[in-house]
Amino acid sequence: MSTDTTKRRLAGEAAGRTGVYNRSLIEASLDPLVTIAPDGKITDVNNATEKVTGLSRQQLMGTDFADYFTDPGKARAGYEQVFREGLVQYELEIRHGDGHVTPVLYNAWVYRDEAGEVVGVFAAARDISERKRAEEEIRKLNEDLQRRAAKLQASNRELEAFTYSVSHDLRSPLRHIDGFSKLLLEEYSADLPEEARRHLSRIREGTRRMGMMVDDLLNLTRVGRKELSMQLTGLSSLLEEAIRDLKPEMEGREIEWRIGKLPLVECDPGLMKQVFANLLSNALKFTRPRERAVVEVGETTQDGRAVIFVRDNGVGFSMKYVDKLFGVFQRLHRPEDFEGTGIGLATVQRIVHKHGGRVWAEGELNKGATFFFTLEAVASRPGESNSLPGGAA
Amino acid sequence: MIRQDVEILLVEDSPDDVELTLHALRQERLANHIEVARDGEEALDFLFCRGPYAQRSFGQAPRVVLLDLKLPKVDGMEVLREIKKDPRTRAIPVVILTVSRDESDMANVYHLGANGCVQKPVDFDKFRNLVKQLGLYWLVVNEPPPPAAFQAK
Repeated sequence: MSTDTTKRRLAGEAAGRTGVYNRSLIEASLDPLVTIAPDGKITDVNNATEKVTGLSRQQLMGTDFADYFTDPGKARAGYEQVFREGLVQYELEIRHGDGHVTPVLYNAWVYRDEAGEVVGVFAAARDISERKRAEEEIRKLNEDLQRRAAKLQASNRELEAFTYSVSHDLRSPLRHIDGFSKLLLEEYSADLPEEARRHLSRIREGTRRMGMMVDDLLNLTRVGRKELSMQLTGLSSLLEEAIRDLKPEMEGREIEWRIGKLPLVECDPGLMKQVFANLLSNALKFTRPRERAVVEVGETTQDGRAVIFVRDNGVGFSMKYVDKLFGVFQRLHRPEDFEGTGIGLATVQRIVHKHGGRVWAEGELNKGATFFFTLEAVASRPGESNSLPGGAA
Repeated sequence: MIRQDVEILLVEDSPDDVELTLHALRQERLANHIEVARDGEEALDFLFCRGPYAQRSFGQAPRVVLLDLKLPKVDGMEVLREIKKDPRTRAIPVVILTVSRDESDMANVYHLGANGCVQKPVDFDKFRNLVKQLGLYWLVVNEPPPPAAFQAK
């Protein structure tokens, strides 16, 4: 035998082996593979394509590729685009003979003969049922979440509106009780026995307390309903204003103020002042038994975030009850010791939450209390106002 | 000179409120002639000299109207709108007395031309003090609009 024929035979055998090898690869693929001629007719399929369509190789060969999809128009437009652009990825749904549908992602590209002429499209499909199912699940969960959020928001609004109208409507009869009991006391005092006058005083004290609660409750709902009007604000000046407003509560008392540097922040100044007013008023109230009250306000950092704190050397509280502090109408002291409606800290919490911040407290019985709060964005330190977003207010 | 004209028109539906307000005004001896309207319609009849008040004239406007917002039939906001819309009544000072501190209500009454807005406090002493100050200001301190102010131009 000549070496030439041997070479040719070996080459032929090698080519044959490569062909078998390549064919096995194609058949072994779990992804349905198809080749399509320029006229859209199927020229080759693999095992996976037979499975996904429920049709045999013989049935598929020479038929129109587009016929096996839920949207033949899209399938046709797809391979036409491949012929034009060389490579395209697109999603289709393959219809099985028994009617069930498999969503797939097609990765299709043209293949050429030795001369470089395009002879067809090679299209590999990837079953994306799992992904589609997951996407559908996420969509459903999202929808559900949105529905729940909307419901919650609606019932919250309803609750706020209810609280508002109730506290609003309660004020009128309360005013009448207070007014007439006062007139009774003033105009018929001489005719009333001492005990009757005492009872009347109790009635008036009751209405006064209820009036404060109603007002505080109204304020709390107003805070809840109010749109924040954000402004770049120096907390120091807000604090000063709040302290000034508390002058009457400081009369005749020895109070040492330790005021640290406070930052400029983006906040609703009206509401933020309420935060200070409430925290400082508490500090003044609960230091009343102290000969010398010490109230400290400053800024510290925790986990890289700015934290504002208000500390006092007052009667403090047991950490056992720390969870109750911020609840509406929750009080840790007897009314005859420390007056209050139990709404102040709830208001503080609502305002801080509205600002995207957090508020918490630390205390020890008889050793004072510290209230901390953060705000979403501390815009700047004093003196760095040139780096402010949008310029200084 | 004794003024026979109505000095204050109190527009208030609650009899309790009427009594407490009158009591406070009398105690301070601030007003001798107070007319009370129990709803918005009555208030408008009085101010626009119609119905039972047809014999009145626009020149006899009260020195001040104390107007509650929550009223039967025609509510306070509507009464205010009518008063401030008409050139014959526009000059009458109207002070809103309300239990509401609703910001949108407040904004509305000022937009409509209210001359003041006061929240009725729960505490009667505070309320009495407030009524006294109102009376003092509108009946003593304030210079009332001259008759020409009530003519349609």
